[in-house]
Amino acid sequence: METELMSPAGNFESLQAALNAGADSVYFGVEQLNMRARATMNFTTEDLQEIAARCHASNAKAYLTLNTIVYDHDLSLVKTIITEAVSAGIDAVIASDQAVIANARSLGMEVHISTQLNITNLETVRFYSLFADVMVLSRELSLRQIKAICDGIRTEQIKGPSGKLIEIEVFAHGALCMAVSGKCYLSLHTQNSSANRGACVQNCRRSYTVIDNEEGHELEIDNEFIMSPKDLCTLPFLDQLLDTGVKVLKIEGRGKSADYVQTVTACYREAIDAWKAGTYSSDKTDHWMKRMEEVYNRGFWGGYYLGTELGEWTNAAGSSATVRKIYLGRGHHYYPKSKIAEFKIETYPLSVGDRIMVIGNKIGVVETTITSLHVNEEGAKDTAQKGDLCAFPFEQAIHPSDKLYKVVPAEQTNE
Amino acid sequence: MITITQQRARCIGCNYCVEAAPHRWRMSKRDGRSVLIDAKERRGFWTVKVTEEELAANEKAAQLCPVKIITVKQL
Repeated sequence: METELMSPAGNFESLQAALNAGADSVYFGVEQLNMRARATMNFTTEDLQEIAARCHASNAKAYLTLNTIVYDHDLSLVKTIITEAVSAGIDAVIASDQAVIANARSLGMEVHISTQLNITNLETVRFYSLFADVMVLSRELSLRQIKAICDGIRTEQIKGPSGKLIEIEVFAHGALCMAVSGKCYLSLHTQNSSANRGACVQNCRRSYTVIDNEEGHELEIDNEFIMSPKDLCTLPFLDQLLDTGVKVLKIEGRGKSADYVQTVTACYREAIDAWKAGTYSSDKTDHWMKRMEEVYNRGFWGGYYLGTELGEWTNAAGSSATVRKIYLGRGHHYYPKSKIAEFKIETYPLSVGDRIMVIGNKIGVVETTITSLHVNEEGAKDTAQKGDLCAFPFEQAIHPSDKLYKVVPAEQTNE
Repeated sequence: MITITQQRARCIGCNYCVEAAPHRWRMSKRDGRSVLIDAKERRGFWTVKVTEEELAANEKAAQLCPVKIITVKQL
């Protein structure tokens, strides 16, 4: 059985990064009816053709999230979006509202059940098998419970509309919610901004003080951000997770940057391939974990899969990533024969030996280290300053919209 | 007079402005975003001038809007 690695895309940079890093499928949202409606970088329906084309060119599938709660005034937009997705060749819609599920089925679109429906048992799988071929399970289940559901699908031959056995999907990596996945009222309660319409303001990520109303004593609870879970990471026990029989591993993060998508997708790609080849080992896991610690994270824990511990909470407000990227400048020209890229430096100096990252809509994310620099008309130099045009060897063609970043240890930017 | 402005493209269709000021706002059945009734569009911003009577309800709408795309100004 093939395992499918599903990556998030909030824009074309992330989409390309996911495909370059080896994702088997990509999920994304358009317009306002998805769980990242607040993100300014959402795609529009006009992007559907290009998204499908890019995914299919990489032999990957493209899934459209349409998983908020839906009101009467949204029904026409739902139909419009699904109709356009069908004609663009999008492979499936990820849905939770029954109106969306019914609409997608009537328009001949494959349906995947969203985490917003929180499937936690086999009978619910059987119920939704009338409409959907792939279902993501609730993030709160243990490995044992997941295995029981996967086994049940096989022994009871529960099939979806396609006639194939239901495929079970689970979240493998990314942010966790303090509430049962997504079913949270906190953001609506304090900011009138509903998480269930994709507008969560993430106020759970802050620190809170408990006040004794009788005597006014203020308590900070063990100095922890008690409503902010660490990020889910299943890499250290990916073999056990895959052994349950799950088919699709989903990475959270449509609101995250392209380099995050690239790094996390690449690590899970290598891990899945190693598991298939029988070479998955703790040495390799250590290496992947180090790489993933470099990008945005709130610290890692195994979620509820191992079933032994309740929540683990973060002890910091933001990311614990071990490296940061600093914006240096934009693409200027590419010399394809000599494979030299030229950038205009707009902010900080770039030196030989620096680790860099180029991020753009077409190339996704490409990392390398500067081995030589040619600055303005002055020839080879060790450092390029703000305002300089600098050139260096770079394997892939760059574009004027591509951004150049320097990658530095996190401590260096905190000083 | 007061001026109400909406940056419509960023609307997520939550319906709160309609609840707060139903005479000035309605939900579009076409694209699911809210419509500022009688407003004119200029560079993505929809604007209408109305009387003081509507001030309180529309200030409430602006305050409730989760994506903060409504402004109400007194002239």
